[in-house]
Amino acid sequence: MINLSRTVTEGAPLVAEIERRSGQRVSACLQCGRCTSTCVAAHAFDFPPHRLMHMLQIGLVQEVLASRTAQLCLDCMTCSMRCPMKIDVAGVIETAKAVADEAGLRDTERDLRLFRREFLRNVRRHGRLHETSMLLRYNFATRKLTNDISLVPLILRKRKVHLFPPKVKNLRQMRRIFREINGDARPAPEPETGAGE
Amino acid sequence: MRIGVFVCQCGTNIAATVATDRVVEAARAMLGVIHAESIQYTCSDPGQRAIIDAIQQKDLTRVVMAGCSPRMHETTFRRAVQRGGMNPFMLEMVNIREHCSWIHPDIDQGTLKAIDLVRKGVARVRRQAPLSGSTVPVTRAALVIGGGVAGIQAALDMADAGIPVTLVEKGPTIGGNMARLDKTFPTLDCSSCILTPRMVEVKNHDNIKLIVNAEVDQVRGHIGSFEVDIRRKATCVIEQKCTGCMICQEKCPSRAPDEFNAGMGESKAISIAFPQAVPLVAGLRKEHCRQFVKGRCGVCQKVCPADAIDYEQEDEIVSGAFGAVVVATGYDLYDWTGSYPTYGMGRYPDVITSMQYERLLSASGPTGGHVRRPSDGAEPQQVVFISCIGSRDESVGRPQCCSVGCMYTAKQAILTKEHIPDSQSYIFYIDIRAAGKGYDEFSRRAQTEFGALYIRGRVGKIYPRGGKLIVMGTDTLAGEQVEIEADLVVLATGLTAARGAGELARKLNISYDGYEFFTEGHPKLKPVETNTGGVFLAGACQGPKDIPATVAQASAAAAKVIGLLSRGELETSPVVAAVDRNRCVGCFKCRDVCPYGAVEQEQLPGGRAVAHVIDSLCQGCGLCNVACPPSTISLKGYTDNQLIAEVVEVLR
Repeated sequence: MINLSRTVTEGAPLVAEIERRSGQRVSACLQCGRCTSTCVAAHAFDFPPHRLMHMLQIGLVQEVLASRTAQLCLDCMTCSMRCPMKIDVAGVIETAKAVADEAGLRDTERDLRLFRREFLRNVRRHGRLHETSMLLRYNFATRKLTNDISLVPLILRKRKVHLFPPKVKNLRQMRRIFREINGDARPAPEPETGAGE
Repeated sequence: MRIGVFVCQCGTNIAATVATDRVVEAARAMLGVIHAESIQYTCSDPGQRAIIDAIQQKDLTRVVMAGCSPRMHETTFRRAVQRGGMNPFMLEMVNIREHCSWIHPDIDQGTLKAIDLVRKGVARVRRQAPLSGSTVPVTRAALVIGGGVAGIQAALDMADAGIPVTLVEKGPTIGGNMARLDKTFPTLDCSSCILTPRMVEVKNHDNIKLIVNAEVDQVRGHIGSFEVDIRRKATCVIEQKCTGCMICQEKCPSRAPDEFNAGMGESKAISIAFPQAVPLVAGLRKEHCRQFVKGRCGVCQKVCPADAIDYEQEDEIVSGAFGAVVVATGYDLYDWTGSYPTYGMGRYPDVITSMQYERLLSASGPTGGHVRRPSDGAEPQQVVFISCIGSRDESVGRPQCCSVGCMYTAKQAILTKEHIPDSQSYIFYIDIRAAGKGYDEFSRRAQTEFGALYIRGRVGKIYPRGGKLIVMGTDTLAGEQVEIEADLVVLATGLTAARGAGELARKLNISYDGYEFFTEGHPKLKPVETNTGGVFLAGACQGPKDIPATVAQASAAAAKVIGLLSRGELETSPVVAAVDRNRCVGCFKCRDVCPYGAVEQEQLPGGRAVAHVIDSLCQGCGLCNVACPPSTISLKGYTDNQLIAEVVEVLR
């Protein structure tokens, strides 16, 4: 049993925060389900993306923040591209992740969070992804030093990764982009219009 | 008997599966046929010319036209044979297209069937007699029943076209339900602001005679000349003298329910419905008046400065003659208190109908436009709207969609937010039906801009707890039970036909459905006609509809009346029933079954009573033919003789 008068009132500040930072309106969602129909990761979620939108509509924001749905989203943006109401669904989920991060709510998927952190730090440092250092740091962070170690000879033989970082033409511009989106690896607020096609 | 048979090829429409030359050949051998030919496109000008030439050269007296359905071109060919000098009813259409060529793939079989059909037509036309209709004069005046927005629109349109209109309204003022609305979707126009000027226009129009507090008592006559008795009910106020000063209402000691405010306020036994009422005349309700209930009071008579009170006033019958009638009796709200026990059946004062809420929102309402809930006058914060009360609900016998509930609920949610900015509205819905122009955008705005929370699901139960109403429902999108602690619950009650609609329909001899909504002549092509000539429909009396659709239908009905009354006289169809007096036994079964009241009793000089058909009322349906035990009443052009001859030919 959900007490709507309570959830709506109590959830309102956090929902407003997510709406403000994502630039999206969850009330615009029609619940048509097209986001879920196109989602490639929904099978791993505890509830599909359209349900996440509805939960925000009725104020179940804590449940959203603590959910695997918010954490496992791949940010592939297909839902945002196909939303008939032009809602940036992925942006909403991305924002929910960030809000959850800040609230320290996301320890059930610690490795995921660390992976994301190391990924973005790596891109900021090198301008593009340097897999070798990224994986090393990830393994340190997760304290699983030997994680996937057996794959190393194979990867090296296939020349899939390089020992030295890649060269980027304009690293300063790259860093400026990161600075502009809050100066750290947190996701940026999406533009008002959402991600169109 | 000189019969001509014309077989149309209709390009390849017929010729592809019917060998028309073989049909012509076969027709030539039929009894009475002296001419037969095949024509490529008979409906074309040269095609019609060929028929006319054949009639004149060969002196034809009957024609069989084998081609398309009579629904397509019967009128065309009746005119053609008339131009050739024949009676138009001596033509028989044989359908060898829709009923033959289009549905048969095989040319031999198609041809054989076409020959059978032509033989049938020839047999029938051999027994045909010339027919001619009569004419009836048209009274150039119209009656409009019902003074809501539909009646107002129809009356003004007709009056502007120069037609004298009598507008009859049951209540004390025109304006109908629309006058009670606060604002209108999807533009949020103020309802009164757009309606009251039209009401005043009605009152001041030279061509409109307005009779309020009145109902249709009796209807006689038929299209072009109706005679209607209108009963003006006694209100104890002399309309011509009353100035609308409202002193009587102020001083009246007898309280009475406020009908205009849907019971949300209190009124007096003598009152004016609302300050913009048209006409602005007081009326007295005897059942609430001390003068009548206790036998002494007389306050209003004493205080009236215009000497307009007359306790002795009696009902008055006003008779009028009209060429056409527009029925615009509108709707009443579904009475939910009888059938929703789990919502309290009216026990909880803060569970109200949408019309009651409309009056709470209205600046001219009992709270001056401040939303205050009925129980304690508090401003509600949590407002729950429940859609489809008495609509889309088989369990209460109302399966139809009310067609306006979704929209007016969205509007009320928007207005709630405007009146009480920190309020939260919840709308329980089944589907959001917003099909009109700008409607879906409007209901979306209720959600995105005004924060109305739409919950898909029907409410199970409402019960009071500590000054709140606990609304127990479900959110089918979340798949969870939900509950809301509400301050006010507004029920989006559906629309039913106006009380007494069925009775009026029987007086006017028009059809109505199981919910007493009047039936249109054809759901697509005759949306404002009824099955009784000269009686037209406008607005929600025909089915639930919103204001734009109502106004459009009212103007359409007016256009139909203007067209009808622009003719000095009407030609009636000659295909009507006729009685063979010599054989009529006077059982009057025909009169009992006639849906149009077209059969009357006729006294023959010898004293014998026989049936007699009033041509102008008969619609040629043929029910009486079936009911007549000795088969003495029959439809002209469709006599038993003719029909049996057709069947015999087909079975040969």
